[in-house]
Amino acid sequence: MSGEFVYVSFTLNGAPREFHVRPEEMLVDLLRDRCALTGTKIGCDVATCGACSVLVDGAPSASCSTFAWQVDGRDVVTIEGIADADGAPDAVQTAFTENSAFQCGFCTPGMIVLARALLDRDPAPDRTTIRAWIGANVCRCTGYEMIIEAVELAAAARREAGR
Amino acid sequence: MNEISPRLHVVGADLDRTDAPSKTTGSAIYTVDVSFPGMLHAKVLRSPHAHARVLRVDATAATGMPGVHAVLTRDDLADVAPTYGYFIKDQPIVAIDKVRYIGDAVAAVAAETEVQAVAALEKIVVDYEPLPWVATIEDALANGAPQLFEEEPMGVVPAYGQGASGAKYLGNNNCYRFSYETGPASAFDDCDRIFEDRFVFSRDQHFHLEPFVSVARMDGETIEVWTSCQNPFPLRKELARVLKYPENRIRVQVPYVGAGYGAKNNCKTEPIAIMLARKAGRPVRFCMTMEECFLTQSQHAAILDVRTGVKGDGTLIARDGHIWLDSGAYSDASPLVAEKAGYRLPGPYKWQRLHIDCDCILTNTTPAGPYRGFGGTQASWASESQIDIIARALGMDPYDFRMKNLKDLHEAYVPGESGVDSDLRDGLDVVAERIGYAHRESGNGRGMGLSVGFKDAGGVNKPAQARIRIATGGDVYLQCGSIEIGQGIQTAMSQIVAELLNTRLERVSYPAVNTDYTPFDQGTNASSAIVVMAMAVQDAVLEAKAKAMAFAADQLGCGVDEIELDDWTIRKGNETHPLNLMIMRYYGGTGYEFTGEGFRKAPMDHDAPLETQCVSWEFGWGAAEVEVDTETGLVRLKQLVVSGDAGRAINPRVCRGQDEGSAIMGLTGALFPCMVYDGARLVNGDGLNYRVPLATDIPEGFVSILQEQGHGPGPFGAKSLGEGCMLPVASAIANAIEDAIGVRVRELPLTPERVLAAIDAARAAD
Repeated sequence: MSGEFVYVSFTLNGAPREFHVRPEEMLVDLLRDRCALTGTKIGCDVATCGACSVLVDGAPSASCSTFAWQVDGRDVVTIEGIADADGAPDAVQTAFTENSAFQCGFCTPGMIVLARALLDRDPAPDRTTIRAWIGANVCRCTGYEMIIEAVELAAAARREAGR
Repeated sequence: MNEISPRLHVVGADLDRTDAPSKTTGSAIYTVDVSFPGMLHAKVLRSPHAHARVLRVDATAATGMPGVHAVLTRDDLADVAPTYGYFIKDQPIVAIDKVRYIGDAVAAVAAETEVQAVAALEKIVVDYEPLPWVATIEDALANGAPQLFEEEPMGVVPAYGQGASGAKYLGNNNCYRFSYETGPASAFDDCDRIFEDRFVFSRDQHFHLEPFVSVARMDGETIEVWTSCQNPFPLRKELARVLKYPENRIRVQVPYVGAGYGAKNNCKTEPIAIMLARKAGRPVRFCMTMEECFLTQSQHAAILDVRTGVKGDGTLIARDGHIWLDSGAYSDASPLVAEKAGYRLPGPYKWQRLHIDCDCILTNTTPAGPYRGFGGTQASWASESQIDIIARALGMDPYDFRMKNLKDLHEAYVPGESGVDSDLRDGLDVVAERIGYAHRESGNGRGMGLSVGFKDAGGVNKPAQARIRIATGGDVYLQCGSIEIGQGIQTAMSQIVAELLNTRLERVSYPAVNTDYTPFDQGTNASSAIVVMAMAVQDAVLEAKAKAMAFAADQLGCGVDEIELDDWTIRKGNETHPLNLMIMRYYGGTGYEFTGEGFRKAPMDHDAPLETQCVSWEFGWGAAEVEVDTETGLVRLKQLVVSGDAGRAINPRVCRGQDEGSAIMGLTGALFPCMVYDGARLVNGDGLNYRVPLATDIPEGFVSILQEQGHGPGPFGAKSLGEGCMLPVASAIANAIEDAIGVRVRELPLTPERVLAAIDAARAAD
């Protein structure tokens, strides 16, 4: 094991955090093993399936293939930090619940942060845009249609709420 | 409390899934999230050879590596029964005399980190004597082919009923044969036309995102294992046999399972994790990588020869079939899959004669095992492709040909079997009308195809037990071994319980499965939970409810027929009596739990071919529209319409998710590359190279239509659901391709290369 550590400081789910990380330490391991944020999952471990997706400065990122030191000075949001500051679920979370847009749930945290990133960029995406965006992650259970509908529902709910 | 709540209608409502709060917030705990202080991490050394004798395994150097606490090799197997399997116990915990495929487990290490474990594996010295290998069904069956097993492993052939039989080890890598026969062979003599076709089925991998994973530890003398598993009770039994350990000192715990699609049955990571934990005296986590999952379990590739005799008027008469399943290196569930592939090959049609053999052929590749559809996918591919071939040869529309020959509602599948519990013609009309089949324009590269996917469901001879506890205040605990693997069974069962108790869904809790106190269940497979376990749940609820009602009637000094239960309040005419107050008055202030037990199993029946009649028949009606580019062979799926029959949908939205997910799994086998071997080496067995359908692969014309025909054997008329809609997809697309370009493709997947080859072959024949 390397004796060298790298100091990183970043915002994690809204709070400033500091760590000494090994150079080869992956962000997903830091989140899961050292921060007890186990909502972020490891699926393929090669940045393909998206189960490990987190938001880094608002952009969906594969935390399985992101070194922990790469998020120094950045803003990281995981599924555990996606709700409002007052604890109210995000519109995407609510829509996933209301449309049963999950089954086994293993891809769901990644899917939810992925969808949230889309709606932060494009408050009124059409179906084709949603399909293309959701196409970044794998869900082996649902066949995707109910996920796409949930994103549409979330977009509508956000517009209605004036966000 | 005294306010009378309105009559509730929980069943049939699109209620939010009960696992939504945990699964949408990241707080759901899966086996990958289970951790204990001092927990070690296991890694496995895997064979680089497809087939080799293991001459030497020397782990001395690994033992002294940093962080290493335990090493497991064949030298540690003296005190255990070292092989496991379903009917045939042929798969060793780690290699003993031979390795039989690239990826076969040879040794394992438990260390403080996975990195340390991997480093230690590199220090294990293994000497191999490479042997010739076989990687395909054809090669394994060839004269003089290398044999995976020189001695026949221990195994059993189960009892079968009318017309069915089994046999093991028929020579030449054939580890099991299932046969089914009914009717006179002379029936073929009455046929005007006989069609013989060979179909080839490729092998998909489950690609469950949560890998095979378990965490094992010793709790005193009790082995406790947390595992991502869909059959914890049979697993406990097999672990007890393999480890020679008392079954009541093995505790299997199953939290949420990150999907399985059939893969998560029987021993996977558990024996290695447990043996390392016992040796190290520390908890051990064995979590496979996705690459290792590809080397652990897959679907069965298959060759299917189908010979079908038909009258000139289009009446189906007789069918012979021979199926060869590629079982991979160990028998695993192959004998069971063979039963089902063979039994399902006839499809839901009227026959006078059937004779089917299904063989399990060992090859030096990843062991094949249970996969959603369980042999029915292979059978439906061949059967429903040939139905179209025959119809076209007879000059009939494939729709009319199906309508003429499909079984009637309640008609026995075969002699001694139960009747089919869906109206097959109504189902076919649902998808044909939706896609616009009657008005299609065939040819010029565009066409439509139909298919009726079919399987028997409910699990052969499956016993299921359930227990209900209703607490003083009316909160309900459902103890039920059905595993929440994504299908929404916790929600469905809870809705059934709430409906029967006339209460709210939020009242019902579904504790995680723990074999120490969860009542026995055979396993969460074969779409059985909603038709077998759910009936046991219903029995348990009704028993507990009857006790509570009798108690209340006694307290009120009236007859049971004078009172009603309304959300744990007793209504008697215009009076309301909260049950909790009555209970505390009688049993004391701390209260009391009313309990109920339920048990269901189809009765043994030797007249039934599989010894019990099928509980529920599962159908998936499919219709596809394709556009085929004859220059490139590319098939563009324009529409895919699927429909399943829920009988009565307990939660229609959850049912929809099952049908759609199932159909898109079916699409993988139809149009995606599946597992590609170069000789005995899997070349695309990882997340980067293996293509599963993405959202961008799904056509806008993908629709599922949920039927509720009302004939199911489950609570409120529910039927098995969740596998049916994957069954028709490949054949519907192949049938649409022929409708579009007049060319038949008999081999899956329907890649551009294969379609182009079929076009070239057809041109050459002209």
